[in-house]
Amino acid sequence: MASMPDAPLTCLDLWCKAGSSSENKGEEGIAHFLEHMVFKGSNHLKAGEFDREIEALGGSSNAATGFDDVHFHVLVPPTAATAALDLLLNLVLTPALRQEAYATEREVVLEEIAQFQDQPDDQVLKQLLKACCEEHPYGRPILGFEASLKESTPEQMRGFHSRRYRGPNCCLAIAGAIPKELEEILSNSQLAQLDYKATDEVELAYQPNLNFRKGRLEIQIPRLESTRLLMTWPMPPAKNQEMVMGADLATTLLAEGRRSRLVHHLREELQIVESIDMDITVLEQGSLVLLEACCHEKQLKRVEKEIHKLLRASLDSTPKNQELERARQLISNGLCFSLEAVSQVAGLAGSQALWNRPQPLFAPLEHLPAWTPARLHKEMLPLLQPEHSFTLIARPMEAS
Amino acid sequence: MNPLDLVLDPVTAPGVIAAKLWIKGGSSADPQGQRGVHQLLGSLLTRGCGPYDHLALADLVEGCGAGLRCDTHEDGMLISLKCADRDAERLLSLLGWMLIDPHLDPNQVKLERELSLQALQRQREDPFHLAFDGWRNMAYGNGPYGHDPLGFSEDLKQLGREQLFSLVDRLSANSPVLALAGNLPADLEQSLGSMESFQRWSDKPTPPAMKSDSGTTSSQNALSKTNLSLQNEPTAQVVMMLGQPSLSHGHEDDLALRLLNCHLGLGMSSLLFRRLREEHGVAYDVGIHHPVREGAAPFVLHASTSEEKAQLTLQLLLECWWELSQQPLSEEDMALARAKFHGQLAHGAQTTGQRAERRAQLRVLGLPANYDQHSLEEIKNLDGISLQKAAQRHLQTPMLSLCGPEASLQNLAKDWQQQAVKPYLIA
Repeated sequence: MASMPDAPLTCLDLWCKAGSSSENKGEEGIAHFLEHMVFKGSNHLKAGEFDREIEALGGSSNAATGFDDVHFHVLVPPTAATAALDLLLNLVLTPALRQEAYATEREVVLEEIAQFQDQPDDQVLKQLLKACCEEHPYGRPILGFEASLKESTPEQMRGFHSRRYRGPNCCLAIAGAIPKELEEILSNSQLAQLDYKATDEVELAYQPNLNFRKGRLEIQIPRLESTRLLMTWPMPPAKNQEMVMGADLATTLLAEGRRSRLVHHLREELQIVESIDMDITVLEQGSLVLLEACCHEKQLKRVEKEIHKLLRASLDSTPKNQELERARQLISNGLCFSLEAVSQVAGLAGSQALWNRPQPLFAPLEHLPAWTPARLHKEMLPLLQPEHSFTLIARPMEAS
Repeated sequence: MNPLDLVLDPVTAPGVIAAKLWIKGGSSADPQGQRGVHQLLGSLLTRGCGPYDHLALADLVEGCGAGLRCDTHEDGMLISLKCADRDAERLLSLLGWMLIDPHLDPNQVKLERELSLQALQRQREDPFHLAFDGWRNMAYGNGPYGHDPLGFSEDLKQLGREQLFSLVDRLSANSPVLALAGNLPADLEQSLGSMESFQRWSDKPTPPAMKSDSGTTSSQNALSKTNLSLQNEPTAQVVMMLGQPSLSHGHEDDLALRLLNCHLGLGMSSLLFRRLREEHGVAYDVGIHHPVREGAAPFVLHASTSEEKAQLTLQLLLECWWELSQQPLSEEDMALARAKFHGQLAHGAQTTGQRAERRAQLRVLGLPANYDQHSLEEIKNLDGISLQKAAQRHLQTPMLSLCGPEASLQNLAKDWQQQAVKPYLIA
């Protein structure tokens, strides 16, 4: 719960440990498909009734499925929060999964897959994850495959729902003006009626380690207009917040803003890339640092050489205080700026609490001072070297 | 002389200040043969001004962990600054310098021009972009809204410092508006006034203001000869855009169209979502593009679907379109549309950046600061019949743009020519 009494809207965000990595063999895509099906009605709500009710209150709703978890969120005026809470819990915890709606919504998901297929950027990323996480669920698309979706059934989905949407796997976050007597409302809600017996079986689907494969792959992608160079590195999982913050500092120092090393050198000085970004994707079973550069194909060799040169040079000397201070400021303000909207606050609080890390919102920043220039140099920059990466080169498809 | 037009919106925000500086004259004011010149100028404002060269400026901004950018839209350039309140004084003076003394360093011009050219090329990867490009070109032709704010490759390649400098004098002349929202210090107005950059701004002689002609777009386009545009691409889906240039923000019928927008495309209870996605499962992403503009804003429905469902999808889009003028919305649908309109205002006022931008936008459009509150009262007076009449007045000449595999597009073109050009009979 994050009380923000002046906010014009209140956000209710229900999180569940039911992302694509909790799918068993044969269930590929079902976590995301279920997220769609939830909106098709529940034991009390007809198809479309939820959306109509929430939007008639002046609110909105949406949902997102990730590798690790899924969340359903509602934004409503504060006076409507209690009503919205009952609707949301009923919708997510007791979905109807009717046969007819299932067949129609499967068509929608197949269209979603087709739509992403037409975005070359998404295809490049998909190929990279497939190559570097081949055996792990992170290596396959969250949306699943056409074949697995076509074979799936409502019964199978019901099985997935009852296996994953259990008490210990769920977490509700609320940000904004908090309704009075919320605790009492919650204790009489459907959330309180969930099965809270922690079972070993629930956790079984999880593979603790990401078996990251280093290497290199060159591919051609249809309809690509400029060449992409992607590099990715394995990082510790989300629960190791100290390392995650260290990686955040390193990527900011290397590639966020015009004064970062890679942007300054490759885009501003040599002018051989259109863009170069580097970011950490924080995941429960092993995070990933991802670097992406867009350039003309004729510059590709030089771009790769210069990136390698700068990454290696980062081991030659400790970073300057000034550049580290710049990175710290960008990260602290970035977090601060992102917490203006209630949906961001609820999202951050909810995902942290879901994975048993309830903490003040700004707590991650407390790790920053420990990352001195010397420590960054000794413990983080050596992890981000070319030889530890998986590199993917994607070129425009040659005309046949 | 143009004194600083300042709008203040103090709100409790955790140590954050957002500043939005709107400068009239965007891509719609690009001179002939110079499409992209405003965007290029906008991108260079953050690359050196006043006492700061491009490196010193980036050091200052990034050193404070702040965000500074300039986005060029059709109607104007928007400079956005977001920073911690303690850094506001140091950074706000930059906004003044950007307007009165941008350096336009030749090497930086070359870099930004090259980045724009590459971005233009990379946009072609997105079939939605291609479909919209085709639609825009058909709907606005050589008019002010007829090209992407990024410009046009052939024109961009010719642009240099001379063309940019000729625009600089007009930056502070067209009554720019600075809106600030957040944790504002009490003496902000005085401290802005005492900054050298803002003082010099108001000392500058005023060149004659440039006349904007984007308001005249609407009726000309209705005469556009063609109403179909095809972009052949070997994609898995067909992207469809159906719509027409509509009204300027503040036009007496604009509010009616905004309500139709809520009814058609806002949220999962909207007509497009229900009809295309829930009832027929033909598309994932459906919606409406209806931005706020000074001139005739696009009012465009969009959907993407696989080849075998394309015919049905087009038919459904057309049904949704013509329904608006064939029958009045039910009182239930009206109530829902009003609730969404109300909700949309609250959703759009959550951050200091959103609030400052809306305040600046209203000021630039010459609309009162309480325009949105006033609209909430006005919509109570609109009923189903008045929306139907507005649709009959303004939504009668839809144009269709398609992007996808050639064979599908040919079939759809036949369907379109057989039925769509004749508006359905209006009862």
